[in-house]
Amino acid sequence: MSGLLHFVDSSIVVYFVILNSFYALLLLLAIPEIWEETRLSEDEDLSRLLQTDAPPPISILVPAFNESANIQASVTAILTLDYRTYEVIVINDGSKDDTMDRLQDAFDLYEVPRIYPEVLTTQPIRALYRSRTRPRLLVIDKENGGKADSLNAGINASRWPLVIAVDADTLIEPDAMLRLIRPFLFGQRVAAVGGTVRVANGAVIRDGRVLEPRVAPRFLPGVQVVEYLRSFLYGRLGWNRMGGNLIISGAFGLFRKEYLLDIGGYKTSSIVEDFDIVVRLHRRLRDRRVPYVVRFVPDPVAWTEVPESLAVLGRQRERWHRGLILTLWLYRSMLFRPRYGRIGFIAMPFFLFGEMIAPVVELVGYVVTAIGMWQGFLNLSFALLFLLVAWGYGMLLSIWGIVLEEVGFRRYSRWSDLGRLLFYATLENFGYRQLTVWFRLRAFWSAIRYRHVWGRMVRTGFAPAGSGPRS
Amino acid sequence: MTARQLLLIVALIQGVLLVALMGLILVNRWVQARKRAHLQPRRAVLDAAMRGWAMSETNPDLVVRALEALPRAAAVESLVAWASRLPGERWRALAIDLSHRPWAARLRAATRSRQWWKRLEAARFLSVVSTPDDLQILARLLQDPHPAVHIAAAAALERTVDPGLVKLVLQRVPDMASPVQAYYAAVLRNSHAIAVPMLIDRLSQVYDAGLSRMVEFVGRLGDAGLREPVTALAEHRSAEVRVQVARALGVFPHPRSVVALGLLATDSAWEVRAQAVRSLGRIADPTSLETLRARLRDAEWWVRLRAALALTRLGAPGRDALLAAEVGAQADARFVSRLILGLSNQALGEFAA
Repeated sequence: MSGLLHFVDSSIVVYFVILNSFYALLLLLAIPEIWEETRLSEDEDLSRLLQTDAPPPISILVPAFNESANIQASVTAILTLDYRTYEVIVINDGSKDDTMDRLQDAFDLYEVPRIYPEVLTTQPIRALYRSRTRPRLLVIDKENGGKADSLNAGINASRWPLVIAVDADTLIEPDAMLRLIRPFLFGQRVAAVGGTVRVANGAVIRDGRVLEPRVAPRFLPGVQVVEYLRSFLYGRLGWNRMGGNLIISGAFGLFRKEYLLDIGGYKTSSIVEDFDIVVRLHRRLRDRRVPYVVRFVPDPVAWTEVPESLAVLGRQRERWHRGLILTLWLYRSMLFRPRYGRIGFIAMPFFLFGEMIAPVVELVGYVVTAIGMWQGFLNLSFALLFLLVAWGYGMLLSIWGIVLEEVGFRRYSRWSDLGRLLFYATLENFGYRQLTVWFRLRAFWSAIRYRHVWGRMVRTGFAPAGSGPRS
Repeated sequence: MTARQLLLIVALIQGVLLVALMGLILVNRWVQARKRAHLQPRRAVLDAAMRGWAMSETNPDLVVRALEALPRAAAVESLVAWASRLPGERWRALAIDLSHRPWAARLRAATRSRQWWKRLEAARFLSVVSTPDDLQILARLLQDPHPAVHIAAAAALERTVDPGLVKLVLQRVPDMASPVQAYYAAVLRNSHAIAVPMLIDRLSQVYDAGLSRMVEFVGRLGDAGLREPVTALAEHRSAEVRVQVARALGVFPHPRSVVALGLLATDSAWEVRAQAVRSLGRIADPTSLETLRARLRDAEWWVRLRAALALTRLGAPGRDALLAAEVGAQADARFVSRLILGLSNQALGEFAA
């Protein structure tokens, strides 16, 4: 018994060391990347760019299902972006609330016939509408088919060579699109590019614009600010340099349409369509030996509302992890295949061993430690020391995310917000982290049962014009 | 060393790092706040000097001194911001005055730096205050391996008209991605007189591998002097070139363009036909009515759609052609005509753009 426990214990220690060394590598790689991106964003002459035809035309796809609370604010904000040539396609995915009525009232819609072929098969289209007040806007009213199906309907209707998927509960900053197309302006062969998604809860919002970013005083949305900073500012930047970005956020990601059509659009059976589509893009382009890049650019920003209740957070995290498990299983043939280069040898193995099984290892660690101490095989002070190091490392990574934010962007200018960020980064490892481990463990069970069910997200809606901060 | 000792050391290092990172955050905030406090009054002095000089109330020495008082990056930033607000004559005088200053000489020297960000700063500086003495430096920057540097340097072409620089840019056009090409076409708008003869020469090399990209670029420039050489390529053997010719001819409203587009509208490649009927719609010449009417029966959906949209640009005769096709014998033409006739004028404008 003691031999077995020691073996499991040693394995966990080795796993811990390897995984955290990899995180340290990502962290180090993120430093030159954020430095370079910050320099470029500071020196970019956006007003000159706006006066030329250089920014490529873009179709913005906004899938909406029961988004009555936010739809008017977010579509209005998207319609007033600083960008020359773009169209906005809102896809009402058979909403059961009054999303369609809100759109109708806000934008004075009138029905138009469909004048494009259905390249990607989708649920039936009920009607198409254009706006009398906003010529850029096209609204598709269709039968419910899920987010991926809505995006496919939007791709069918889009006219421009680049499409960007934006969630209806997301507020895009006015210059975000101009910043997002930087890799195109640099002549890179871009297949997809993603921007930063930040947490809108707690911010001062007026007319669909975030006027003053703030860290929510409530623990749950506040701690997610730290999580998002860590995930975007060093995770994805590190992957940029490693050449293996596997995730472009579904809330704010730009794709070359010809590639999306080539892989048959979004997969309607996937519950994490953003992860699935990037993996499929990598696979197809590497199969065909097409030179390409999938990049993350940190300075274009979109703001999103995050769950404020444990129940909703649990459903969201369970779905994300279930999607990760199912997607990795589906594309397991890419693992360790030379043809897929860094994707097959670094990125996918990391997501498999580092992300997917991490909650299992963590649970086993807690259980083995408890048994070991109960049976007297493990020394209490040693176990506590190990736990302290593990949690301390997590804290270090979170604070590193805050350092990158402070050095690179400093969106949260108030000292109280900085204090909250540091406070949440410290507390995150005590309770919240274990909770997310539990949510992710639940995903294994539901993945076995293969449930294609999306968690329900309760929207409170962005604050109306003239209102103060929302908490 | 025992495992416990190792863990203790790791924990200690982590603790030190945590404190150091928190300290870094606080120090960074403090430093930034001090920098801002120092910069703001100096920026205000520069803005006042610039305003005074723009209204001929002060001499450029004050402007230069105010610039020198700022950190280099902030000075370049201010210069770029002011460049678009001041009249050309006064700006050129400032550029010449600046060229003799050691401060500017250091920036010019940075164009040879091994660090791209220093070259970028220098390129931004020269993009607004370059003089005829800087042509060689600009030529080097335009060939810089870092895209941000050559994009920044290219802005100088809006103010500097020089055959050598234009030639250099045109040589690189075939390797440029579309957005980059569009950017260069915009900054060359004051250099058409030099660029056009060079482009005519380049378009005459019909077996040039980069010909389609050159024709695409010509379409973006839209200079009337380039119409004839583009029209001459309408029968080029490469479909890729013909697509670009069909697209470019849409910006040259001329009877010969219409004839060439009529030919391209019957091309074997549907991409060429679609582009040709679209360009015919842009030109909206009444003589293209029959060509467009015939394309309503094209085998390819996009060609039929573009032909129907183009017909709406021909006024009453085009609408009559669509009404006739709507009740005609050919099913595809019937369908596409019905679709287009069902669109409002606003929607038509949107789709046809």
